[in-house]
Amino acid sequence: MDQFTITGNQRNVLFGFMGLGLLCMIITFFGDDMFHTRFWTNYLHNSVFFTGIALMSLFILSAFTTALAGWHTLIKRIWEAYSMFLIPGLILMAVVVIATVGHMHHLYHWTDTTEVANDPVLNGKSGFLNLTWFTAGTIIIMGIWVFFAWKMRQLSLDEDKNGDASYEHHRKIRIYSAAFLPIAGFSSAAVIWLWIMSIDAHWYSTLFAWYTGASWFVAAMASTIVLISYMKGKGYLQNVTQEHLHDLGKYLFAFSIFWTYLWFSQYMLIWYGNVGEETVYFQERQENYPVLFYGNLLLNFIAPFFVLMRNDTKRKYGTMVFASIVVFFGHWWDFFQMIKPGARLTAMHAMEHHGGEGAHHGAEHAAAELPGHTEAAMHAMPFEMGFTIPGLLELGTMLGFLALFIYVVMNQLSKAPLTPKNDPYLEESLHHHVELHGEEAH
Amino acid sequence: MSNQKKDILYGLYNDEEYLLKAVDHANAEGIEITEVFTPFPVHGLDPKLGFSESRLHITGFVYGMLGTLTAFLFMTWVFTRDWPIIFGGKPYFSAPAFIPITFELTVLFAAVGMVVTFYIICGLGPGVTIPTLDDRITDDKFCIAFDVTNAEASFTDKLKGFFSQTGAEEVNTKNI
Repeated sequence: MDQFTITGNQRNVLFGFMGLGLLCMIITFFGDDMFHTRFWTNYLHNSVFFTGIALMSLFILSAFTTALAGWHTLIKRIWEAYSMFLIPGLILMAVVVIATVGHMHHLYHWTDTTEVANDPVLNGKSGFLNLTWFTAGTIIIMGIWVFFAWKMRQLSLDEDKNGDASYEHHRKIRIYSAAFLPIAGFSSAAVIWLWIMSIDAHWYSTLFAWYTGASWFVAAMASTIVLISYMKGKGYLQNVTQEHLHDLGKYLFAFSIFWTYLWFSQYMLIWYGNVGEETVYFQERQENYPVLFYGNLLLNFIAPFFVLMRNDTKRKYGTMVFASIVVFFGHWWDFFQMIKPGARLTAMHAMEHHGGEGAHHGAEHAAAELPGHTEAAMHAMPFEMGFTIPGLLELGTMLGFLALFIYVVMNQLSKAPLTPKNDPYLEESLHHHVELHGEEAH
Repeated sequence: MSNQKKDILYGLYNDEEYLLKAVDHANAEGIEITEVFTPFPVHGLDPKLGFSESRLHITGFVYGMLGTLTAFLFMTWVFTRDWPIIFGGKPYFSAPAFIPITFELTVLFAAVGMVVTFYIICGLGPGVTIPTLDDRITDDKFCIAFDVTNAEASFTDKLKGFFSQTGAEEVNTKNI
């Protein structure tokens, strides 16, 4: 079967989960504090996470194409379909931009003009951390990503219909890929600073963009492995073998280590340097969010390291799917711990200034316990579901976004044959063989 | 190991595909191959020859863990018991500062340990010379070798027939 079709059953399940996600978001919204911090952090968290996966799959495709790799050709339609999620991603992020410009939430400390005027650190950063940059940066950069994703997808689809032995389409894709690599590298850093790092507005880390990008990369690989296993179970992608799975597993393993390397480099330099304005980020997370902080390492380093280290585990569908689900959830968790503690502090800080009027829920208690204290980070933060750990509403919201993501991907997959039949590297991919000792591939 | 020299009948192939087909042929005919030499690892050759997977990487894991423990425990002992010094206001037991060296020693132990193990398994070491059948098997030829010491002429002829059937470029005998 080379033509993917969404069955009615799949559609029902996906729409069911989307409905669940929407319901969870509505419940979160109405049970929230006056700034709807929990709602907006959940929305931002999932939008950024899934948009990043779409970006990274385009990056992966571009990197492989530029490197003249051939093994991935049989699964390149999947990453093309992933990259098409950049279009809904642009809409999702546009909502964040509108809400930020319209001051509908209080995620970003630097949007408060009176605060910025009295704060030398934020004032110094206001050349970049301002609404114009936030709006223009998000829309223009994501617009460029969408352009590249669209262009490469169109060329690839056209290659199927009109491709010939001159491989003119592939040459063009290669040019777009090579152009996209530096653009993605630099522009993703800029939006990561704007979307995520600026939540902790006083803090910065030069490694942060890499570390976040690695997180997206691993999540993209993990979700690819799960999707391929599912589709093979449904009778699609029969030419994709254990050999391809093995290579995907190597990427999952290697980039889990890479993520850990970046995470640790960032942590250790800040820990060793011991500069207060830098350590505050980790101090806050280690003291008040130990489950998030250490769980992050457990899910994203310890688990994949020991599960995926052996050669043969990377060739078993069951083990790979298990490891991928753990790691995918782990990187979602990673983004959770990047976003939530900072946004919670910002909201509490803002609520003190608003005198807590109309506020309800935990944030109010927390604010009430700390009258007049602006340095809330110095104090123990009480447990609050949805901030200290992801609650059921967060999981529901994530499932909703995941269903949306999968629906968009499946919808794109159903628009073209799964095998790119005129791709110059198709033969190489069909005969891909990596395991020296391996038996015939299945 | 005996130092007695052996008569080796070997055939050279030009391509790994011919080699793989020849090995299949030998398996089908029930001819027992003594040894195969290739200039680079050939995919799918090991299972055909009935080799089980190498366990060298398991020793690699053990050596690596040994390195991890050595580094971490040694630094812990030095900085908490033997010679405690305060660096940059950090506690004596500062796990994050130990990680880079722990990582380095893990890699060092695993790498060196695996190389030494490999040398021991292969009987290699300083001063050991290994006789080669033909220099070109380290370059571009693929070789199947049979031990024909004290073999009957009919067996040798059968092997020669096998080589000509499977397209061997050259067939030689060497006493090494």
